[in-house]
Amino acid sequence: MNEENKKGTIHPLSLLAKEAYQAFSDMNFEIAVGPELESDWYNFYVLNFPKDHPALDMQDTFWVRDPKSGCEITEDRYVLRTHTTTVTARAIEQAGKEGRIPCAFISIGKVFRNEATDATHEMQFYQIDGAMVGENISLADLKGVLTHFYKKMLGDDIEIEFKPSFFPFTEPSIEVFAKFKGRWLEMMGAGMLHPNVLRNIGLDPAKVQGFAFGGGLDRIAMIKWGIPDIRPIYQGDLRLNQF
Amino acid sequence: MNISYNWLKWYIPEAPDADKLADVFNYHLCEVESLEKKPDGNIIFDIKILPNRAHDLLSHQGIAHELASLLNINFVDPTPKYKIPASAKATAGKPELKIEVNTNKCRRYMGRIIRGIKIGSSPEWVVKHLESVGQRSINNIVDAANIVMFDCGQPVHAFDLDKLNGSIIVREAKDGEEMTTLDNKEVKLENSNMVIADAKNVLAVAGIKGGKIAEVDNNTKNIVIEVANFDPISVRKTAQALNIITDAKKRFENDLSPELGSYAMLELSALIYEMCPEAIFENVVDIYPKKQETRKLSFSSDKISKILGLSVSIEEIKDILKRYNFEFTENAGKFEIIIPLMRLDLMIEEDMAEEIGRILGYDKIKGKIPKINFKPKINEIYSKILWVRNKLLSDGYSEVMTYAFCDKGEVEVMQSASDKKFLRTNLADGLKESIKLNQANAPLLGTEEVKIFEIGTVFKKSGEEMHVAFGNKKETREITLDEYTKSAELFLNGLAGVGDPENRGPKKTTLPMKFKMWPLFPFIARDVAVWVPEEIKSEKVAKIIKDNMGDMVIRGPELFDEFKKDGKVSYAFRLVFQSYNRTLTDIEVNEIMTKITNKIKENDGWQVR
Repeated sequence: MNEENKKGTIHPLSLLAKEAYQAFSDMNFEIAVGPELESDWYNFYVLNFPKDHPALDMQDTFWVRDPKSGCEITEDRYVLRTHTTTVTARAIEQAGKEGRIPCAFISIGKVFRNEATDATHEMQFYQIDGAMVGENISLADLKGVLTHFYKKMLGDDIEIEFKPSFFPFTEPSIEVFAKFKGRWLEMMGAGMLHPNVLRNIGLDPAKVQGFAFGGGLDRIAMIKWGIPDIRPIYQGDLRLNQF
Repeated sequence: MNISYNWLKWYIPEAPDADKLADVFNYHLCEVESLEKKPDGNIIFDIKILPNRAHDLLSHQGIAHELASLLNINFVDPTPKYKIPASAKATAGKPELKIEVNTNKCRRYMGRIIRGIKIGSSPEWVVKHLESVGQRSINNIVDAANIVMFDCGQPVHAFDLDKLNGSIIVREAKDGEEMTTLDNKEVKLENSNMVIADAKNVLAVAGIKGGKIAEVDNNTKNIVIEVANFDPISVRKTAQALNIITDAKKRFENDLSPELGSYAMLELSALIYEMCPEAIFENVVDIYPKKQETRKLSFSSDKISKILGLSVSIEEIKDILKRYNFEFTENAGKFEIIIPLMRLDLMIEEDMAEEIGRILGYDKIKGKIPKINFKPKINEIYSKILWVRNKLLSDGYSEVMTYAFCDKGEVEVMQSASDKKFLRTNLADGLKESIKLNQANAPLLGTEEVKIFEIGTVFKKSGEEMHVAFGNKKETREITLDEYTKSAELFLNGLAGVGDPENRGPKKTTLPMKFKMWPLFPFIARDVAVWVPEEIKSEKVAKIIKDNMGDMVIRGPELFDEFKKDGKVSYAFRLVFQSYNRTLTDIEVNEIMTKITNKIKENDGWQVR
């Protein structure tokens, strides 16, 4: 068979990211990207993680040695971002400076967790993270937006529900579950942006409020297509590119 | 944390059955990670208490209190049961207990001497309670201390009084001071660590671990019990520095109310009295310089409704506050509450929105799609990535993603669960590995030449960069995303990202497709070429192959060559054999190929080349 101009195959996560971005741009979200090597300020403290607090243990973090001196610097420390909430926080901060409030951002990017690898855990994976800020944005809006998103991703018969949770950057905090083929599956964390976060990014919590959410894109891919193991996703094996 | 259903029932006898209770936990409080039915009929919930409620929910009573309010059922107060004999300031002829607190990181220290105890085994209910939460019974005094922690959440400790030298002193450690822990670990302390000491020795690392010196042993007759409250940050930092994780540390680092101490002292004393009815109890010495302040919190039903996106009535809120025993006043939907002392998590109006939201149940909230006045801009970097990806795909390159971690580089992580502690400085190394892997699999992929690309971040001393790398087995090229797209900039200016009709999602939905995991055993590829009369179609040959190839073919028959000569046509097919559960042998594949060859030869004028 001839190979003339045969098209290459796309990585499934790129395909899924494209679909996810589309689902959110249908709802007026703007795409945001940001650095993977991030200051601890944006990764943690802007997001209302208290210093020296057990909440920091909720994410296994890769702290980075100062590339210049080769040792840990205490004042301005760097991490491999543990979530892309950093990106949405930066984007909202910028939008605030430009007077673009209300606003809505969506970002998909690689994140890193320092944990042992198995079929469902990788040290690197993709996260989809979004936020919307305005005068009256509520948990009901979050539910509507996520329902639309998961219907686009997993089919029209999907249902979602919220359960209580805790994240330093949201209050109330919830865990989002989706019912796919008769089973309830944990999909992402979400909630209403904590007033301290709004203040930290230059907004006035007395005037605006908003929701934020974030979860693994790999997980959606694994559920959607029935991929049994996360590890082949980053092994550079073309047999993965089936779609 | 393990929570025993039977233990909970002591406090909330009206608790619903375990499966129903699991739903209550999940939908209104916290995640149940597992639910285990024990042979003795008890049920153990492993529940995930997150840091915001670790102040008050890392205990059976904490959980029982919460559930009683949540479900509006009775909570049985255990205190009337607790009996402690009348105590005196000191036993005749013996010095009274002296406690010195020399650091402000100890917020409260309660101590009590108990004389004439007898070390022995614990009553059966104590052993059962402890076992139900995965703890081993040690002796009555140690068990009593553990019961108190798992019951009310306050870590407590007991020292052998006769091993002490004078007063109990709570202080900062001296640099280089040493202690042997109860589990025989030598720790070297520094000034930032808080310790419990006597005139001579360090007795315990405060809030973390007891020491060997004043250990309660089988001959212990007289003890000092400690119920204290320590600064959470100090405990956390010390435990991290010493690398000691204990149940006590987990509770202190999350911040406990110092008010909990009074109850814990009562409970611990009562338990020891139950186990040692002969014991003599001296007075409690309570050093509590700054009493925990009562805090107030104001919120309005309007704000709660606005956050939740659900109209919550004044009456609904009042009902919740009453069930939770909050003292409150209300005026036209504006509430002011006195925050219960154990609820250190409640600080701001939004905390009450969560409290009310979760108690009512988030299922009450109906979703809607918000309309906001916002004009999204095109993201330039993502547009570039899309453009590059489309370009390379149409040039025949397939996309891969490889690991960001490797064993050498310019940026290093400080600790890693793996041995690859550096971040990649290029994509090309990973790409070459991937080419090698895929080239070996070329027959499986149905291609002769593997062409792949990756778009990804690399990490250099100067910072991170987005790169594009692409190549085949002969060569790979790598440039920055910006360089790659420079020539295309004019085109890019006109190209929108997502939102542009050109990029409006994939045309066909990918929904019905299902991923097929590949076998992990090696494959065997075989070709078969056949001369047949010109009028025979390739499909006919393929069908014979298919009918005889068995069920180990993962790919094929695939026609890869075809030519005509002298009224005949030659078709060449490739078959790739692979099993999901074993390594195939040449012999068995040869047998299959022979069978196919023979079947082909049965046809007049067909010839296997």
